[in-house]
Amino acid sequence: MSSKGKSGKTGLIFFPAFDWAISPTHPEREERLLYTRDQIFEEGLMDLPQIDEYKPRLAEMLDIARVHFCVPDVESQITEAHLIAAGSTLTLADALESGEIRNGFALVRPPGHHSMRVVHGNRGFCNINNMAILVEYMRSKYGHKRIAVIDTDVHHGDGTQEIFWHDPDVLCISFHQDGHTLYPGTGFVNEMGGPQALARTLNIPLPPGTTDEGIHYVLDRLILPVLDEFKPDLILNSAGQDNHYTDPLANMRFSANGYARLNEKLAPDICVLEGGYAVETALPYVNTGIIQAMAGLDYSHLKEPDFVPGRFVQSEQMSREIEATVAQVQRLWDDRDELVKDALEGLGDFYRRKKRIFYDTDMINESQEETVRLCPNCSGYMTISTQAQRGYGILNSAFCVSIPRKACASCREDAKEEYEEHIDDCRIGYVCMQDKDRDTFKFHNNMTHTQKSY
Amino acid sequence: MLVGIDVGGTTTDAVLVEGNSVVKAAYVPTDHDDLLKCLLGALDELVKDVDTRKIERVVLSTTLITNMIAEGKTDPVALVLIPGPGTNPKDYNLGEACILDGAIDYRGREIDRLKESQIKEAASKISAQGLARIAVVGKFCQRNHAHEQKVGEIMRAALPGAKIELGHRVSGHLNFPRRAATTLLTVATKDKYREFAQAMADALRQRKISAPVYILKADGGTLPLDSSVQMPVETIFSGPAASIMGVLALTPAGQTSVIVDIGGTTTDLALILSGKPLLSSKGAKVESLLTHVRAFAVKSVAIGGDSAVDVSDERMTVGPQRKGPAFCMGGPCATPTDAMRVLGLTSVGDAARAEKAMQEVANKLNCSPKEAAQKIVDAVVDKIVAEVGEMFRAWEQEPAYRIWEIMKKERLEAQNVVGVGGGAPPLVPLVASRLGASAIVPDFARVANAIGAAVARPTITLNLHIDTERGEYIVAEDGLTGKVGDRKMTPEQAEKLARKLLDERAERLGIGEYSGEAEVTYSEVFNMIRGWSTVGRLLDIRMEIPAGLLASWRGC
Repeated sequence: MSSKGKSGKTGLIFFPAFDWAISPTHPEREERLLYTRDQIFEEGLMDLPQIDEYKPRLAEMLDIARVHFCVPDVESQITEAHLIAAGSTLTLADALESGEIRNGFALVRPPGHHSMRVVHGNRGFCNINNMAILVEYMRSKYGHKRIAVIDTDVHHGDGTQEIFWHDPDVLCISFHQDGHTLYPGTGFVNEMGGPQALARTLNIPLPPGTTDEGIHYVLDRLILPVLDEFKPDLILNSAGQDNHYTDPLANMRFSANGYARLNEKLAPDICVLEGGYAVETALPYVNTGIIQAMAGLDYSHLKEPDFVPGRFVQSEQMSREIEATVAQVQRLWDDRDELVKDALEGLGDFYRRKKRIFYDTDMINESQEETVRLCPNCSGYMTISTQAQRGYGILNSAFCVSIPRKACASCREDAKEEYEEHIDDCRIGYVCMQDKDRDTFKFHNNMTHTQKSY
Repeated sequence: MLVGIDVGGTTTDAVLVEGNSVVKAAYVPTDHDDLLKCLLGALDELVKDVDTRKIERVVLSTTLITNMIAEGKTDPVALVLIPGPGTNPKDYNLGEACILDGAIDYRGREIDRLKESQIKEAASKISAQGLARIAVVGKFCQRNHAHEQKVGEIMRAALPGAKIELGHRVSGHLNFPRRAATTLLTVATKDKYREFAQAMADALRQRKISAPVYILKADGGTLPLDSSVQMPVETIFSGPAASIMGVLALTPAGQTSVIVDIGGTTTDLALILSGKPLLSSKGAKVESLLTHVRAFAVKSVAIGGDSAVDVSDERMTVGPQRKGPAFCMGGPCATPTDAMRVLGLTSVGDAARAEKAMQEVANKLNCSPKEAAQKIVDAVVDKIVAEVGEMFRAWEQEPAYRIWEIMKKERLEAQNVVGVGGGAPPLVPLVASRLGASAIVPDFARVANAIGAAVARPTITLNLHIDTERGEYIVAEDGLTGKVGDRKMTPEQAEKLARKLLDERAERLGIGEYSGEAEVTYSEVFNMIRGWSTVGRLLDIRMEIPAGLLASWRGC
C-alpha cells in the first residue's frame, strides 16, 4: 500500500556526508548538499509538526550481502559513508513499519542506483545500491512481497534494473534521458527483464529537453495506471534530481515544482536520493519541494529564482515522441503474461546471458555469465561467473551462487553442489554463496583457503 | 564578595559568596506581581550588616520575561516577513504577519527585489492597526542584511517613533521561523524589560551598591544588566539555568552528572557531560513558539512529591496530577511524600496521617502499608530512571551530518546523580543506585540556584560566516560585514578573525576581561568547485565563551 491516505509524520534523514568525497573536485563531493542544508534548515522544515528528523544508523554487512556479491568481500568495497547512507534507508524502513511515520525521505549521499549485483568497484558514483538494500531488507525483515521501484533520476537506473532483472515481484520503472545521449547508455524500451519477469522492468527513455509536461505525461498516463494494476505493497522512489533544467551533467528541463508534484502524485512510501549535481541552482529547491510534497505541505511558494511558469515549452514533435514511447511501453505491460509464457516455452531448464560491464569511475572492465534455473517449483537458483580487470592491474574473478527465497529442495541441493564444486578451484579467486532463504552469506577465498560469513 | 539572587516559584533566595564559600544566605517570599520588590527585599536582607563596598558583582536571575510571556503581558507587535521562495509562511505557527516581496538566497545574493510601494503600504496598515512595535525578518537576511535594513528605514520614516527590530540582529543561525519568533519576542518584551533594568539600577544606586550588576541567561551565562536590554528574551528560563550552574559549582569538576530537581508536581532533569552543561541542540521553546534562544536541555517529568497516588482495579498509578499537598501535610490524597514518611525517608508532616494514607492504598492493593509505601517509592524511582534513560537516548540519537560524528558517539553513563529541590534528599540515593552512580545532595542544595547565579561567568556566542568567492565576511548579530581578500582563507585564519571580532564584541558588552576564555566550538570549511576548479571557500566559525564558573570560585 502506498502512503496515500495514511496519517502520521514524514520521516527525514539528512546525511550530507560533509566529510566524504570521491575526489576533491568530483561532482560527488563534500559541497553537494551544503546549500540544501542551508535551505531546509533556514526553512525550519525539521521543526514542523508534519516532519520528524531521524539519525541514521550503519547498515550491517549482512544487509549488503543480501543484495551484492562484493569482490573480494563487502568490507573492501565500502566506506563508512556507504554504510550510513544505506543504513539511513533501513532506519526509515523500521520507522515506517512501526507506524511512527507515514512516509520517509533518505536525503543521503553517496548514491547507489548504478551499482549492480556483483560489485568490483565504483560505477557511476555508486558502490552499493541503497535502494536494492532497502528492498531486500523490507522483504526479509517484514515479509513484503510486491515492491515497486520508480527511478526518477535522469540517468537510467541500470544497477537496480540488473539486480531485480529476474524478479517478477519487484517492478522496476525508470524514466530517464535517452541512453543515446547520456550515461550509462542503456535503458531502452526493449530492456524489460528476464524471461520469468518480462515487462516487470519498464524503461521510458525521454528526449533531451523534456519538460514538466512530458514527465508528468509519463507519470499520469503510464506509471500511475501501471502501479494501480501491479498493486505493490510498497512504492519506493529512487529520487535523483538531475532532470532539473540546470543540471550540469544532463539536459532535461524539469523544475522543482515538477519534482514536488511528481512526489505528491506518486506518494512513495520511501524516497532515496540518487544523483543531482546542480548543487546551488537545483538541489536546495528540489529537495525542499520533495520534502514539502511528502509531508503534505503547500509547495506553491517554492520556485527557483530564475523560474517562471511557462519558461519551458515542449515542441509538438517532442510530445508526439514521448506519447509514442509511452504507448509502446504500455503495450509491453499489457502483454506481460503473454510475453513470459512465450519466452519460457522456447527455453530449456536454464536461461543464460553474457554481459560486459564497464565501471566508469574506477576504470574496471567486467565480463559475466549469468545462469538462472527456470524451475517449475520456485524462482530458481542463480549462478554468476565474473571476471574483472582494473586498468592494466589485477584480474579478479569470482563464482557466485544465489539461492532465492522459498527455494525448492532440488534448487537448494544443486546450488550447494555448484558452490562446493568451485571451492578451491585455482582458476577462480573467490566463491560466494548468497542464501536468501536462510539469510546467510558465505565468501570463500580460493587463494588463501579462508572463509568469511555474514 | 559576590551576590547571587534567584527568584524562585515560592521564595526568592540570595547568597553572598566569598572565594569558594557561601558566607550568608537570605530568603523572602516571592511576589510574582512585584519582582523588583522581592529582588530588593532579598538583597536588603542579605546585605544587612555587610559592607556593601566590598561587593564586587551582583547577579540576578529573574522570572520577569518568563512570567510576562506566560501571562500574555507582552506588548503587541506587527510581524513583517520577507519569506522569499520556499515554505508558505502560513505553515509556520507565527500568527498574523505582513508578507513582503523580495528574496535573498543561501549565499546572501539578492534573488528578488523589494517593492518600495508595498513596504509603504504595509507601514500604513500597521499604523492603522495602532501598532508601534515592528519585527522585520527576512529569510537568509543573516547572510545579507540589506533587505531588512531597507524595510526598517522605510518603516522608520513612515512611522516615527516606532520600535523596530531586525531579524539578523537577533540571531545569525539558520532557521527563519525561529528567527522570526525570537525577534517577535524581543520587540514584545524590550520596553518592559528596560523599565525593570532601569528601576533595578536606580534602586541599587540608592543603596550605594556600585558593583556591576549582571543578569543570568538561559544558557547559564551572565551579561551586564545594561547590555542585556538588547536581548531580553535570552533571560528566559534563568531559573533552571541557575540551578544547573549551582550544581556545576557544587560538584566535582569535569564529571558527568544527572541533575534531578524533584519538586511537588514535577521533576526536572538536566545533564552535565564531562563538566559541561548540555545545551538543547536547537533553541528554547517559549510557550508555543520555537526560538533561537540558547538554553540548557531540561526535561520536565510530571512526577513529584505531591503527585496523586491512585489505585483502580488493583493497578496503582502515581501522577501526573497533583491534587494538593501530601496527605501528611493536610492534603486530600496519598502521595509519594506520605510513602517516604512511612518508610522513614523523610520527617516532614504528620506521621499518623501518612500512615493513614498508606493504609488506604494498602487496602486496595491487599498488602501492608509499608509494602504499599515501598511500591509508591519504587514507581517514582522507576519513572525517573526511565526518563533519564530516555534523555540519554535522545542525546545519542541527535542527528549528525558528518561521518566522524556518527562514528564517535559513545554511550552515556552518569557518574553522579545530583539532587536539588525539596523532594531530592530521600529519592536521589535510590535513583543513583539504579543508575550505578554516586548520589550527591550538595550541602547548599537549598540555595543552589542563587549560588549558580553568583558564580556563573559571562557567555558570548559569535557566528562568523565567510564567503571568499563573494569576498565577504559577516557577523549577523552585530550587523557587521567586511571584506575578505584571500579566496583560499584557511580555517585558522578565519578563527583568528573570529577571535578578534569576539574581543571587540566582549568589550562593547562590558565583559572584555573574559574574552580570553573564548573557544572555537564549531568550524566548517567547504571548497566551492565550479566546473573543475576551486572558486572560493565557505567558512563558518562559531566562537564562544561557554557556560562556566568564575575563576575565583574554581581557583579555591
